[in-house]
Amino acid sequence: MPVISLFAWMLVIAFLAFIACMFEDLESDIGSQSNPNSQVQLAPEMGYIHRYFNKAISGEGLSYALSCTIAGTIAMLMLLKLEPMLAAKDMSLGYAAVLAIPVGAAVGSLVHMVRSSVCHVGREAAHKRFEQPIYLDVFYGHLLPIATHNFMAVICITAIAYIQCNLGILSGVTGASNPFPLPLLCLIWGLTVGAIGSSTGDIHYGTEREFQDKPFGEGRRVVYHGQICRYGDCGIRTSKDVAAFCAKYGGPATGLAFGLIVLFENWRTVIGMLLGDLAGPAWNPSIAAAGGIGIGIGIAIVLIILARTLEKWARNKYGPFVGE
Amino acid sequence: MEPITVYLLVLVCIIIGGILSSLAVHLMPVGGAPAAMATATGIATGCVMLMTGAAVTGLFTASTVASFWVTNPNVILVALSGAVGSMLMMGFTMFVGNLIYIFGAGIVPCSGRVAVDPITKESQTEYKTPRTDGHGVPTVSFVSGILGGFSGGFGGALIYVMLVSDSYAHFSVATAGIVAMGIFIANAIIAAYNIGGTIEGFHDPKFKARIRTGLTCSLIVSALCGVIVVIAMLTGTLVGGVM
Amino acid sequence: MGEEEAKQAKQEEKEEKAKPKEKFKLSFDYFNESRLGILALIIGVLIAIFPGLPAFIKGIGIMIVFAWGADSVRKTARYGLGTGVPSIGVLALGFGIVGGITGIAVASMRFGTLEVLGGKVEIAFGVLAGVVLLALLGFVSGNLANGDKFINMKIPGLERGMTELGIAGTLAVLIETSIVAGTYDPARVLPNVINNGLIAAIFIISAFGMLQPYNTCLGADERRARTLLMSIEIGGIASIILGIATTLTLSAVQGVPLIVLGAVVWVVFYRAYMKACMDEAYATPGTGLIKTLGG
Repeated sequence: MPVISLFAWMLVIAFLAFIACMFEDLESDIGSQSNPNSQVQLAPEMGYIHRYFNKAISGEGLSYALSCTIAGTIAMLMLLKLEPMLAAKDMSLGYAAVLAIPVGAAVGSLVHMVRSSVCHVGREAAHKRFEQPIYLDVFYGHLLPIATHNFMAVICITAIAYIQCNLGILSGVTGASNPFPLPLLCLIWGLTVGAIGSSTGDIHYGTEREFQDKPFGEGRRVVYHGQICRYGDCGIRTSKDVAAFCAKYGGPATGLAFGLIVLFENWRTVIGMLLGDLAGPAWNPSIAAAGGIGIGIGIAIVLIILARTLEKWARNKYGPFVGE
Repeated sequence: MEPITVYLLVLVCIIIGGILSSLAVHLMPVGGAPAAMATATGIATGCVMLMTGAAVTGLFTASTVASFWVTNPNVILVALSGAVGSMLMMGFTMFVGNLIYIFGAGIVPCSGRVAVDPITKESQTEYKTPRTDGHGVPTVSFVSGILGGFSGGFGGALIYVMLVSDSYAHFSVATAGIVAMGIFIANAIIAAYNIGGTIEGFHDPKFKARIRTGLTCSLIVSALCGVIVVIAMLTGTLVGGVM
Repeated sequence: MGEEEAKQAKQEEKEEKAKPKEKFKLSFDYFNESRLGILALIIGVLIAIFPGLPAFIKGIGIMIVFAWGADSVRKTARYGLGTGVPSIGVLALGFGIVGGITGIAVASMRFGTLEVLGGKVEIAFGVLAGVVLLALLGFVSGNLANGDKFINMKIPGLERGMTELGIAGTLAVLIETSIVAGTYDPARVLPNVINNGLIAAIFIISAFGMLQPYNTCLGADERRARTLLMSIEIGGIASIILGIATTLTLSAVQGVPLIVLGAVVWVVFYRAYMKACMDEAYATPGTGLIKTLGG
């Protein structure tokens, strides 16, 4: 029975991971962040004034590490205070988590919102000589969507970290918890979620949405750089219009990447633990570790084969580059 | 075990971990900001972000596996677990990245630095958009990224397990985790400066030109970091409890 | 003769009026990069070696160290690092963690800490071991990064910049640890700072204090005083978070003034920064269409 609940918690973690990374990518599209932001930065320098929200906090990995770690720290401090009170009254510890995780995530998102607000004015004030104004409606109108999308991602990450560091208690299988403390786990997953969101979702935003008036099916040549699409469906485009587009493909694909990573990581660890006879008398850690490693190498080989097949399909279907 | 042997082993393993981290940075296909606009081959993010992300995933897996043993975790198995965790993270990221390039932007993955892919022996130049430096993650970059993830995860997890194990440094879990992260970051960023921010993988001419400098620098930096950590170990005051 | 003398005297008077004597104005521009570095180094080291100071004073210390770190990042990153500005800020904190842990370890030895005034005041000289070792590591890294036979990045002042960042990172970690734990004794530091994960928050918020100011204000019309306002503002946020942690681990007497300091500093410097940016931008219209380029 305990092992089944271990798998159940794994699925919950994978589901939360999917949601977290999807919202991470959408949030980095609403406030233009990280790699495609270099184009939003370049555009005024080439004379193309825009109404995007130029949010250049740092790379997405570090920015999400910040909001997730602050969320994890506040949650950890609240749990530190609340859990002894609940234990003294012999109540379930879940009451503390239900309060601590959302409050921590809210504080983390507020800090993130403050960090984004200084970025837009800072970068556009440094564009004074290129005559890029700071549109106040762009500035005020994007802060709340940034905060809310960030909150969704951060609360999922904090929940994942909480489950992982308390997995032994939650599932009843001792020794299944991760030994790292909650804020450190939040830092780790924040860095990972930012790195993945930056590597996958940014492609859809940068190649497709930013250069939507350029032909589909080719890379964006260096001569196009800076000539971003500034006009929207009706009037001038703002960053909020970007999120609606990327939510159709880039966002869910990014969520898929992180969800699959978390799913297969946890799945192969649990299978390894079962092979080593977890929760049984003959607990053999070496077989558990080796089992996990073997399954992982198998998955990597399957991935290489899949990638090769996909590339071959694309080469045959699309053919060599047509045009000049 | 003799104390002097313990200190030497920790120092040597930190140096090996640092060199592997630096090697990982050189192997991973990083395209930087241009890759997000499909102007360059590689993963569309900065070097530092990607590599730190992969390494901490490996660190997470290593810490879970290291806690299987009550004391004295098996160093090789834990390091391999970290390597596989980091390798899978790179693999899935590159795979989904290719999905977005192919179906979201209609682009064929191809390399901009070589005319023929060394692994599949297929031509690259006629699939490349003119006036770009390649786009997507072709097979050779994919394999290079997998190897890079393996190497980086191994290095980070090796440093972690030497610091946390009772028979070596015997730091507490969180101390070992954050110090391993610190040493990894120091090595990785210096390696990122060495490649100048972007690289396509082991087939890139830049790899052959810069790998020796990169590994030498990382040897020196890791050795110094290792000496500093051994000084911290010598004081014997950071000993943590049961893992 | 009298006329010539009178003319000369008049000319001298005119010259004196035209060039008023340069009065010593204590404005921020006095603190150029070297002076800010020396001030921050002295204040940082003094605050780090006295772990018994009230948390309020240490909060001011970390703000100055953040400003120093951000200034160093600005000095080195403006020549183009190739990997972006955040990399060197995170490097500073990667060094800082190693140095901080070593400093705490050395300070907890018997010769690492002096107790004066009947055990009431601790002077932890041992942490300077961590600072000195990290200065050495930063210097070596800078030489590797700039050296002809090595990476050869050709950035002027990179050796000095990386040394400063190594020291600033270590001082930031040490001071923030002593804020939360009140001492460098591992019996208090390990459970209250490291094992409960607070070190992760210390790492990332200090990294942000150093890397965000220049990264955010990057551009053609960037101004140093405006950029450094942000580093102190981040110091305010760090003080609030550490103040909340200190209230729980040490006592409310230490923690609450730090939270108040953080809140006041944040409000003042955030408003100053926003005002500076809005005033110095090209225009701040409520809304509007964009300037078109002739079709």
